[in-house]
Amino acid sequence: MQLTGGFLRVRPLLALGAASAVFASAPPVRAQVAQADLHTSAFVEPSKTSHLTVITPAANVAVQPAEFLDVHAAYTADIVSGATEAIKAGPVADVVTAATKFSDVRHQFGGGVAVTRKDTHLGVDYSYGTESDYRSQSFAVNAGTEFFQKNTQIELQYARGFDKVCTTNYAASTAPSGRTRLDSSKGCFTKTPDRASRDVDLDTLQAAWTQAWTPVFATQVVLTGALQHGFLANPYRGVVITPSGEDALENHPENRARGAFSLHGKYFIKPIAAAASAGVRLYRDTWDIFGQTYEVEFEKYVLPALRVLVHGRYYHQNGALFWSDDYTGGEPADGPRGQYWSGDRELSPLSSYLVGGRVLVAVQGTPDHRVLAVLLRLQGTAGLDILKTQLKDFTWSGKKPDDTLAGMLSLGLRGEF
Amino acid sequence: MAKTLRFSLLVLLSFGAFACATVRPEQRAVLADPTMRFEGEPGEQAAVEHVLENREASFGGGSVRGGGCGCN
Repeated sequence: MQLTGGFLRVRPLLALGAASAVFASAPPVRAQVAQADLHTSAFVEPSKTSHLTVITPAANVAVQPAEFLDVHAAYTADIVSGATEAIKAGPVADVVTAATKFSDVRHQFGGGVAVTRKDTHLGVDYSYGTESDYRSQSFAVNAGTEFFQKNTQIELQYARGFDKVCTTNYAASTAPSGRTRLDSSKGCFTKTPDRASRDVDLDTLQAAWTQAWTPVFATQVVLTGALQHGFLANPYRGVVITPSGEDALENHPENRARGAFSLHGKYFIKPIAAAASAGVRLYRDTWDIFGQTYEVEFEKYVLPALRVLVHGRYYHQNGALFWSDDYTGGEPADGPRGQYWSGDRELSPLSSYLVGGRVLVAVQGTPDHRVLAVLLRLQGTAGLDILKTQLKDFTWSGKKPDDTLAGMLSLGLRGEF
Repeated sequence: MAKTLRFSLLVLLSFGAFACATVRPEQRAVLADPTMRFEGEPGEQAAVEHVLENREASFGGGSVRGGGCGCN
């Protein structure tokens, strides 16, 4: 699969998120002994030249063989197809590249166990992901406890990822300007001489503090820290680095330390049976990216079994220290930024807006009167989000990308037994 | 950076000073409502975060299990 740099960065957090998601949906009462979740999302980024479609089906199953024990398993796939420009050039070099088509499927399998004793729980998880050009393994542990009459909750999570990415078989002594990009995933993870496998080590630590302040108001503070080491670029992406149009494999630093702080508050408005929330997240990393996220959400009961949610989000970031739209020109507008070069638009200065909503319908049964004769609860969700990105400087040979508007449709079904 | 850290620490300590304020178990009905969960609907949340983390350089700070009942 032709990956963005982002794909490479998020795997440990996906595993962490998947683990959290399964734990989060653990049942609060003994009467329920199993739960099955089916979820599918479709991400569509229309474009005349570089469209992208990602279909993501997912299934989670959790069982509680004993009151203190939760065992769960999950499967997720990413079915990706689209087209993208393989070589990034800026406005100075007179290089125009055509988008190339690609498609791939990523499979991710995971599972884990959680033990709960009184106010404390402890869980372990493992996940394995595979696709034609990337392999990932992740171990995660999490622990949490409640105190002050359960008004205060602390949660700690740690994930360690051991990933491998396929690249061309250049020697370590080869100068970065002499390294070539992958033209396809053919031969990856085999003994083919012109392919190599390179490590990506990922450590992610997260701590969360949730506090109930009043019967209708609660806050959550989350701190996340991550260390990444290894091949952190996109193996398919070339960047034009000379005025005559010669390109080389994207060259990113091999280390990145990342940190994020977020604060969210939720308030329930009793007269209208609705919850309103707002949150802010600040992000910083050693590539000198500073990101700010602001979000609001409103969810209301229309009927006892029907909830409607709307949300909005604004995000802004500056570019990485070494990011430039053109590495062939001169300072300060264009030209090299030290020893690295990147064609990753997610490392460029940008802002984005997201608006969306979701409808949720839930039918609640009882042990004596089950839904469809077997379920204690049946829940269905449908959501739609629209994401608009504004790229401040990024161009393809001086032309602004047209794939900056995306939509995501999601459907979910959950049964509790 | 040091100023930011000091400010963050001050905010956290301010919150901590009020952490002894309690909501009694019989008052937790609203906090137990699904709309008050920070993690939202897990499947949907994971899908949106998956998209956003591939469209921007930031990550982390996402909601984790919290809120909810706590009344057992």
